[in-house]
Amino acid sequence: MDYQIEEEAGFVVEDVSKIIKESVEATIGGNAYQHNRVNQWTTSIVEQCLSQLSKLGKPYKYILTCVIMQKNGAGMQTASTCFWDNSTDGSCAVRWENKSVYCIVSVFGLAI
Amino acid sequence: MEEYNSGEEVVFNPDEISVSVKECVEGVIGGTDYNQSKVNQWTASIVEHSLTHLVKQGRAFKYIVNCTIMQKSGAGLHTANSCYWDTATDGSAPKRRGFWDCFTHVQGSCTVRWENRTMYCVVSVFAVAVAL
Repeated sequence: MDYQIEEEAGFVVEDVSKIIKESVEATIGGNAYQHNRVNQWTTSIVEQCLSQLSKLGKPYKYILTCVIMQKNGAGMQTASTCFWDNSTDGSCAVRWENKSVYCIVSVFGLAI
Repeated sequence: MEEYNSGEEVVFNPDEISVSVKECVEGVIGGTDYNQSKVNQWTASIVEHSLTHLVKQGRAFKYIVNCTIMQKSGAGLHTANSCYWDTATDGSAPKRRGFWDCFTHVQGSCTVRWENRTMYCVVSVFAVAVAL
């Protein structure tokens, strides 16, 4: 009898998205853009996310990028493209902002 | 008999990639000013051309190419990457830059930074070895 099997080993966008949001909130939260702290923030965000992702215990390699931009009227555009296995690999991008900061985090998961 | 590194086909060569990515960028936005209505096409075009060139090399890698274009208007921008992968086969030594103080935790990728009078362009290439 055929039935739907839960894809626990796949790249689950919702789970990853949640991990990213929590990590950004925890790191930047309500803080205003500060040039001398931004270095720590980006590092902290990617490290926290990576640590949570590896805890998921899935057979994946991960690549994370985090961009923090001051709200200053400047325009910014970002694009990504991937050459991978469409059936197993996935990505998730989260855009977050507060009054003075934009933060964009992308996670790419590649099945081993 | 001496064992030698026969893994040449799976080596990630950041210098070669850097050169071809720079050519892609120059080809798409060289000599133009930041233009909000075109920037979408530009980023898409840069990543597509870069990826096509990488895939043509026929190496056993999965690739991720990311391009960011930002208007120069005094805003601060900071980026970071981190990767969880096989350090023996994925990417190679990172490059450090002065002003572009980012990517300090990356274990293997190639980042190209380009700018002109009105915009910054940052392209990152990540290569992940495919288990054969």
